[in-house]
Amino acid sequence: MEIEVTESGAFAAMTDGRQPMSRRAAVRVGAGVGVGGAALSLLPFLSGHAVASATTEPASAVEATTTTAPPLRPTADDITLLSFAQQVETTAVALYNEALKVTGWSDQQAQVVTFIRDAHLAYAQSLSGFLGRVAPNSISQKLFDSQKDGFSGAIDLVLASAEALESAAVATHGDVIAELVGTDAASLIASIQMNEARYCTVLADLAGETDPAVLLVDEEAASLVGKG
Amino acid sequence: MTNEIALDNDGRHIDRRGLLRIGGLTAAALAIAACSNNTEAGTLGRVGQGGTTPALEDPIVNDGVLLRTMAGLSTSIANAYQHILDGKFLAKASETMPDLGDQTELVTVFRTHHIASAKSFNALAVKAGAEPWTCGNTRLDSASINPVFKRVEVGAPATDSSKVIGPSDDPTRDYVNLVHSLESMFASSCQALVPLLSESALRSSTMQIGIRSARHSALIALRILPSGYVAGVGESLMPADNATTTTAADGGPPAATAIPLPVALPARFGLLSPTSFIGGAGDENGVRLRVNFETPSLNTFAYPFSSCP
Repeated sequence: MEIEVTESGAFAAMTDGRQPMSRRAAVRVGAGVGVGGAALSLLPFLSGHAVASATTEPASAVEATTTTAPPLRPTADDITLLSFAQQVETTAVALYNEALKVTGWSDQQAQVVTFIRDAHLAYAQSLSGFLGRVAPNSISQKLFDSQKDGFSGAIDLVLASAEALESAAVATHGDVIAELVGTDAASLIASIQMNEARYCTVLADLAGETDPAVLLVDEEAASLVGKG
Repeated sequence: MTNEIALDNDGRHIDRRGLLRIGGLTAAALAIAACSNNTEAGTLGRVGQGGTTPALEDPIVNDGVLLRTMAGLSTSIANAYQHILDGKFLAKASETMPDLGDQTELVTVFRTHHIASAKSFNALAVKAGAEPWTCGNTRLDSASINPVFKRVEVGAPATDSSKVIGPSDDPTRDYVNLVHSLESMFASSCQALVPLLSESALRSSTMQIGIRSARHSALIALRILPSGYVAGVGESLMPADNATTTTAADGGPPAATAIPLPVALPARFGLLSPTSFIGGAGDENGVRLRVNFETPSLNTFAYPFSSCP
């Protein structure tokens, strides 16, 4: 049996040239190779997990999701549309302010009209917040002038004019939604349009209308897009 | 006497050489074991016969699925109105709402609109490449509408923990409130679809249908409560007792759950929140049935693999 003689560290350092591999070194290397081999042999297992997690979604589902998600933020064209929509809302606020100057409102009528005026103000403000510094924050003088007489006459006339304006706003926002690309703005306009549709029914009822065709606005007014 | 070093037989002493030998052998054994290629655990043994695990279909949500889901919702609502009209519930006087009047004609108009809405949504779904959905939404029917019908018309049988609940004390009130809940839910559903649809034209068409239901909702609310235009903002027009309540007699059973009356303008912006329906007779504690009508979600969609029952 060969007797192994190990050199001390000091002596080993003094010797020149390559050292024959000692048994300890051989064991160390062997152990390193063993651990490395074990790790290598585990690679297929680990990579198998990685592959499995990457392919959890069935291939057919990946192929099926071909719809491109629309952007959330408004595009440059969207900003033009939203600026117009904001002008419609600010004009509505100005027109309802004219209407509230008319005398003869009952308490109930005045409260409902005030509610609707405040709602339009909220719409204009929310669109202003959405648009930022490019928000026009001004009325459409042309629209205001065309509607002003209807909002400053007798109560019945004002209610009828307000109902017509709300219907036109509903049609306008429908056209705006049909052109908007960004979904954040489309959601905001949709929530505005939904309530303005209700205003038509409420104003008609407030005016004493009983015909369901009128109350449910079977014929929507023309859109204001291109008329501002 | 020899020169050999006496071995320590008590087993407590391991010299450095022995330690290295053990370490080397262990590492070599590990290396040999690790080099084997058997990395698969294999399958568990099976006892008896059993079917294979079914593979779930892909729950694809695209424009077609959303649109035909809306067609189903509209059909469910039209079917519900037909059920109410067939039972002539709206022609009967309401004890709770004596001024309500007969709303049969109005709900008939609503039903006609919903049949047309279902056709419109199916036409849009077909354009989007989906199959039309020609029956009601199975989830809405089974989880919301049918339980309301059962509770109002039949009640609920006794169980181990509760007594029998009789039919509704005022089916006309419950059904006119159900009409309001369904219209509000449908309007909200159309609004909720806007950010989900991929094409602008589809969003606009969906809203065009949705605003009609918003008007239905406002009008039926005004029929239920003629002065109920607005609520909760500023000085409300609503009277203080804006709910139908039943006062308990002294020593009598608990008062039934109050039923809030709807208003035409519940908020300044279109709502996406659930619409609560409360109706039917109260149980032994006075608790009526409450159902939340919500906008469609993953458990309501009419997926490509779904079909009418």
